[in-house]
Amino acid sequence: MGIFSKLFKGPEVDVEKSNANARKMRLLFDQVVENGGDYRIIFGYTEDVARFNYGFVHGSKTRIGNLIVGWNEAPQTIVVVPTVPDLSGCGDPTYYRRSEILKAYRNKYPTDAFIIYPDKKSYIGINAYDWLEDESLYVYVSQEGELSAFTEFFMNQFAKK
Amino acid sequence: MSLGTIGAFLVVLLLVFVVGNLWFHLVEGVLKWLKGLFRGRKEPPAWHPLPPEQEDDNS
Repeated sequence: MGIFSKLFKGPEVDVEKSNANARKMRLLFDQVVENGGDYRIIFGYTEDVARFNYGFVHGSKTRIGNLIVGWNEAPQTIVVVPTVPDLSGCGDPTYYRRSEILKAYRNKYPTDAFIIYPDKKSYIGINAYDWLEDESLYVYVSQEGELSAFTEFFMNQFAKK
Repeated sequence: MSLGTIGAFLVVLLLVFVVGNLWFHLVEGVLKWLKGLFRGRKEPPAWHPLPPEQEDDNS
C-alpha cells in the first residue's frame, strides 16, 4: 500500500526550495518597493499569447512574465514587480491603487486571472496558483495560504466595477 | 504499403518540419529587424539584481 500511495500521490513540493524562493522574493520586493514590509506577497505571472500566420506556417506564441505581486490592505494597493524564474533580479514596481484604477475583477474564462485596468487603454491579467512545478517557466514557490488571502483581498476589497 | 513508401513519407514529413521551422525563424528574424529599425533604440528597462542574503548569526 505504501508503494502505491506514493505512486499515486503525484508531485510533492520541495519545502526547502519553496521557502528559499519565498525569502528571495521578499528581498527583491523590499529592495524596490518603499515600505515593502507593509505588503504581503505572492508569485503571479502574465501570459501574452500572440497568433502568427507566416504563409504556410501559422500558430501561436505564448510569452510568460513572472511577477512578484504585493498587496497592502490599508491603502488598498497592489504592487507588481517583474522578475525571472530564478529570482536573480527584478524590474521596477508598478502601483495599482484602488482609488486610481478604472476597474478590477476576477476573470472566469479562459483563466481565473485577476484583471486590473489602470485606464481604458491598458490592462494586466495576473495568474496565480498554489504551486507551479515547472521551474524553467515559473518561480518555484508553494503559496496556498497567501494566495487565498490575496484572493479574499482582491474580491472583497480591491475589485471595482 | 512497403517499407520504402513509409520511409519516403516520413522523410517528406521531416522535410516539411525542417522547412517550416526555417521559414518561421527567417520571418521572425526579418520582423524583429524591421521592428528594431522603425522603433529606434529604446532604453533597456531598469533591472535590480538580487541583493546578497545576510548570514544568520546563529553559528
